[in-house]
Amino acid sequence: MNGLLLVARREIATHIRTKAFIISLLITAALVGAAAFAPKVFGGPDSYTLGTVNSQQLPLQAALPDAEIEWRAFPDEAAAKRAVLDGDVDAVLVDGVKVISDGEIDSELGILLQSTNREVKLGAAGVNIPPLQMESVGADTRYQAARTGIAVVLVLVLFMLVIGQTMTVAMGVVEEKGSRIVEILLTSIRPWQLLGGKILGLGALGMINLVAILGVGVAAAMVSGVAMDFPPGMPGIVAGVLIWFVLGYAFFATMAAALGSLVSRQEEVGNVMSPLTMLIMAAYFVAFYATTEPTSTLASVMAMVPPFSSMVMPVRMAAAEVPIWQVGLSMALMVLAVLAVLSVAAKVYERAVLRTGARVRLGDVLRGK
Amino acid sequence: MLEISELRKRFAGGPEAPEGKVALDGIGFAVRPGEMFGFVGANGAGKTTTMRIVMGVLQADSGSVSWQGKPLSYADRRGFGYMPEERGLYQKMRVAEQIEYFGRLHGLSPAAAGKATADLIERLGLGERKGDAVESLSLGNQQRVQLAVALVHDPEVLVLDEPFSGLDPLAVDTLATALQERCRGGVPVIFSSHQLDLVERLCDSVGIVSAGRMVATGTVEELRATEGGTLRVVVRDPQPGWADGLPGEVTVNGDRHVLRAQDGDGQEILRRAAKAGHVEHFGMERPSLTQIFKEAVA
Repeated sequence: MNGLLLVARREIATHIRTKAFIISLLITAALVGAAAFAPKVFGGPDSYTLGTVNSQQLPLQAALPDAEIEWRAFPDEAAAKRAVLDGDVDAVLVDGVKVISDGEIDSELGILLQSTNREVKLGAAGVNIPPLQMESVGADTRYQAARTGIAVVLVLVLFMLVIGQTMTVAMGVVEEKGSRIVEILLTSIRPWQLLGGKILGLGALGMINLVAILGVGVAAAMVSGVAMDFPPGMPGIVAGVLIWFVLGYAFFATMAAALGSLVSRQEEVGNVMSPLTMLIMAAYFVAFYATTEPTSTLASVMAMVPPFSSMVMPVRMAAAEVPIWQVGLSMALMVLAVLAVLSVAAKVYERAVLRTGARVRLGDVLRGK
Repeated sequence: MLEISELRKRFAGGPEAPEGKVALDGIGFAVRPGEMFGFVGANGAGKTTTMRIVMGVLQADSGSVSWQGKPLSYADRRGFGYMPEERGLYQKMRVAEQIEYFGRLHGLSPAAAGKATADLIERLGLGERKGDAVESLSLGNQQRVQLAVALVHDPEVLVLDEPFSGLDPLAVDTLATALQERCRGGVPVIFSSHQLDLVERLCDSVGIVSAGRMVATGTVEELRATEGGTLRVVVRDPQPGWADGLPGEVTVNGDRHVLRAQDGDGQEILRRAAKAGHVEHFGMERPSLTQIFKEAVA
C-alpha cells in the first residue's frame, strides 16, 4: 500500500479508538438530536383551555387548525371565575355575551373569539361571508423558521468540526516533529505522503463525525416530526454541507500543518496557530450572522470569498434560496484557494519539519533560507 | 561500502554569532560491509550532524555520501535503518503495531511486516509488552522498540546515534547481540557512543571526530600502534636514585616506585631495576581507547 494511505490509516486507527473521539461524537450527536426535538418542546402549536357558562362552544378549531383547544363547561359564573383565577382555564365565555379572563386576555385568543363569535352570529342571521383568500406575491417564507434553525445547527457543527480537526492536524505535526519521529518517517516516505496522509486521515475522521451527526439530526427530525417543516431540497443542502466541509477542512488543515511544522513543542502550537484560529473564528461569525440575514450584502459577498465561503455558503444555502451559479462560482474559487494553499503549505512543511529547535520563521522558510 | 567524504556543514548564526558555527569541517570515512564502525567524539564534535546528513535528514553544504560506489539516493536510504539521537516513537501507539507500521512504511507487505515484527519482539525480549502503549514502557524497553523500528525492514545499512545511552548492562548486551548478528550478515553498522569500553569491545574500527574533522580512524589495534605503548615497572624498596639517567618518570607510592617510560631500552631498564630492588611488575601498558581518544582530541 502507498505510504500516503498507510499514514492516513494510522491516523484513523489511532484516533477512532480514543475516548475523546467517541465522547465528543456522542455529545455532538446528542445535541443535534436534541435540537431536532426542541421546536416541539418549546415552540409547538398553541393550546388553549376554554370554558363555557350557559353558552355554545365557538368553532375556533376551524380558524386555527393547528391549535389544541379544550372546552369545559361550568355551572355558573362563580365557578368559572374560580377556575380562571386558579389558572385552570385561559378564558370563559359567559352567557354568549362576555369573556372573562385573569388580566388582559391573550390578544390572539381575544381576536379569535371576537371574530368567530361575529361569524357565528352573522351566520345564524343568514349572512354568509366567504373567507378571504391569502396569497403571497413575495418570497416563499413558509420554511423560514425551519431554514434558520437548520442553518444555526449547521454553522455550529461545521465550526466545531473544522476547528477541532484543524487543531488535531497541527498537534499531530508537532508531535512528530518534536519527538523526531519525523526523522525516521522521512527516511522511508516523502514529506508530501506524510502531510497528505495525515490530512486525509483526519479529514476522513471529520467526515465520519459529520455524517454521523447529520444522520442523527435527520433521523431525530423525522421522529419528532420537525422534518415535516423542512424546506424542499434538503438532500441538496446536506450534500452541499459535506462538500463544503471537505473544501474548508482541506484549506484550514493544510495551513495548520504548515504552521505546526514551524514549532517543535506542543506548548507553542496555540501561539503559532492563533492567526489561523482567528480566521476560522471570523468565518464562523460571518456564517452565524448569515443564519439570520442570509440575503444581506455581507453574507452574499462573504459566501463567495474563500475561505469564508466554506462556512458562509452552506449556511446561506440552508437559510435561503441561492442561485446555482453563485454556488458553482463560490466552489470553484474555493477549490482554487485550496490548491494554492496546498502548494505553498507543502513547501513550508517540507522545509520546516526537519528544522528542530527554536521556532522557524515563516518568512525564512518561504524565501528558502 | 558506505563512503562519506569531505562533508562540510555550517549552521546559520543568530544575532550573537553572525558568522555561524562550523559543525563539519571536511569529515570523511568509509564503512565496509560487515564492519561495525564506532563513532566517538566529544559532544558537539559533529557525530550527530554527520549521521543526519547520511540519512538525508540534513543537507551538507558540500561533500558527498556514496553507497556501493554511487551517490546515496532516497531509494537507497529507504533500505537503511536509522535510530536518531532523540528517540522518536508514537507514545500512544502499541509496541507491536508501531514496529509493524514502520515496516510497512519501508515497503514490506503486511505478512512480511507482521513476521519481522514477531521475530524482533521475540529476539529483543519484548514479548510481554507487545500490546502495551510505548509510553508505559521503561526507557530501556523503549530503546529496544526504537531499535526494532530501525531493524524491522532488514536494513542494508544501520546508522544508530547513541543506541546504548541510558541502558543497563543487560539491555546493552541484548542490543549489542542484535547488532552483531546483523553485522555478521554483511550489514555495515555505524554507531556513535560515549561508552568507549563498549566501542572497544564491539567495533571493528573506530573513528574519532573532533571539531568536525576525523582525527583518527582505524581498528583499535591500529590506533594503539600509532599511539605506542608505555613501559610500566614497579620496584619495591629500591636504592635511592636507582632510576637516574633512565627515560620516563618515577612516582613513589609508599615503598613502591613506579616507572613509566614511553621509549628507551626495556632490557636496560629491567637490569637496573632488578639490581636496585625487588621487581614486582614489568610490562607494556596498552593504551585504552579512552587514552587514545583523549590524546587524539587534545
